[in-house]
Amino acid sequence: MRQKPVYLAWFVLHFLFIIAGSSRETFGLIERGLTIIPSGSYVGAAEKIASAVLAQNLPASNPLRRALATYLQMAGIERGYGYFAPNVPAGYKLVFELHYRDGRVDYELPRVNSAAAGLRVASLLDEIGRTRYDPLREYLVKMVARSIWRDHPGATTIRAVFGTINLPSIAEFEQGKRESYQFLYAYDFSLRDDSAESQEP
Amino acid sequence: MEAWKERLRKFLFPAETDYWLAILRVGLGLQVVLHSLSLKNDWNYLFAGSGNGLISRTLSEALLSAETPFVPRLGWLVTIGERFGLPEEAILSAAWLCLLCAGCSLLIGLFSRSSAILAWFLHLCAAKSGGLVSYGVDNFMTIGLFYLMLSPLPDRISLDWRLRRPSPKPPELFGFFRRILQLHLCLIYFFGGLAKSLGSGWWDGSNLWRALIRPPFNVIAPEILVKWKYLFPVAGACICILEMGYPFFIWQRRTRAIWLACICGMHVAIGLTMGMYLFASVMIILNVAAFGPGPFWAQPRAVSLTTPDQTT
Repeated sequence: MRQKPVYLAWFVLHFLFIIAGSSRETFGLIERGLTIIPSGSYVGAAEKIASAVLAQNLPASNPLRRALATYLQMAGIERGYGYFAPNVPAGYKLVFELHYRDGRVDYELPRVNSAAAGLRVASLLDEIGRTRYDPLREYLVKMVARSIWRDHPGATTIRAVFGTINLPSIAEFEQGKRESYQFLYAYDFSLRDDSAESQEP
Repeated sequence: MEAWKERLRKFLFPAETDYWLAILRVGLGLQVVLHSLSLKNDWNYLFAGSGNGLISRTLSEALLSAETPFVPRLGWLVTIGERFGLPEEAILSAAWLCLLCAGCSLLIGLFSRSSAILAWFLHLCAAKSGGLVSYGVDNFMTIGLFYLMLSPLPDRISLDWRLRRPSPKPPELFGFFRRILQLHLCLIYFFGGLAKSLGSGWWDGSNLWRALIRPPFNVIAPEILVKWKYLFPVAGACICILEMGYPFFIWQRRTRAIWLACICGMHVAIGLTMGMYLFASVMIILNVAAFGPGPFWAQPRAVSLTTPDQTT
């Protein structure tokens, strides 16, 4: 095996990127105060070092950053592995109110045909809930509203209500409390201009 | 220093058989087939462009392009197809069919290398174009298929081997790629366990409870779960210990079998109690391929084709 040095070099770089990506995610959780470890300046510095290894400190158009991002995406190592960590986040729910010309109102949820695709819809709702950029959130909700509209062409307006699912603790559940739905945002879409008016609590 | 180098060389390039690779190929072939079949009725709906699906594929692709425009995506295939006058729906259906065929080919070991590359490429296209609707299973399938594509295929139980009898590959190469998979799994579990351990909810069981009652993972009714409430803190702590301890105990001969069995058991439990069957199966496949041959069934010793002088 004469290519051993090549394999060795690839191994070193590949695992450097995996460790840097995973460390960056972990330091990020600590820095945002989501863990039991108090955040400090050292955490931010460590996160910056890990980001630098992944060329994230370079401008977005930098060829090295783009080349590295391409490799990371193609190898599936662009993110860390903190699933359901450090704590299990709240779930989200998106309900559509379909208003018809005759005053009738129907309610719909985003629908798919299989349980496997249902998990993907949950990922989409998490993505909508996580985004801090209002226009992107509105655009995502609008896209899902369009898919609902295709199935209900008679509806004249659609109100999309996005909320978080509050889960009871074990003690609360034993006392009779069940999961509840907390309103976060609402968007009104009309068929004429497809524009939205948003409301926040 | 030389002794250390030699130890490292022996660790990274052990002489191995291709048993583990056969497990990885068959396992990922089956995974790709099940993954494709599970999305059969929703494939076009999930990955359609503007106006035809649940959410626009073009939005995910635009977000991806902001990071890098060079990652494969379904949009590339649609663009090529449109040049030949083919509609988007036909291209997406063809991509799904090709992914299913690649999975079947991997399963039987026909055109192993080409099938692995095709499966990796098409799965990556779907995972990236559906970035907004992707979850953990896509990430781990990409990792598995990436290593499979690079590994020295075909293995000896593949149809390729029986039909073409290719020249044998150096056993050190099989050992190297197995080490890569093993070490990657160690990092996955270590960082996953570390992140969980840093949250208070995994030690008192509340996170496990939340994970099991959170839609759409609420397969078991909370009325049943609450009867087992005293087990949640123990199970939550066990998950943290199992994951964080993985890189330490999986290498020890005495603890490897029990750790592997426990990790696979944990994934079976995740699959059954949270409905994440595909996530569970891909993790079990990666684990069994990486650490299965040896503790659970004996494999013949591989003999190095190179002398120590030739290894540098």
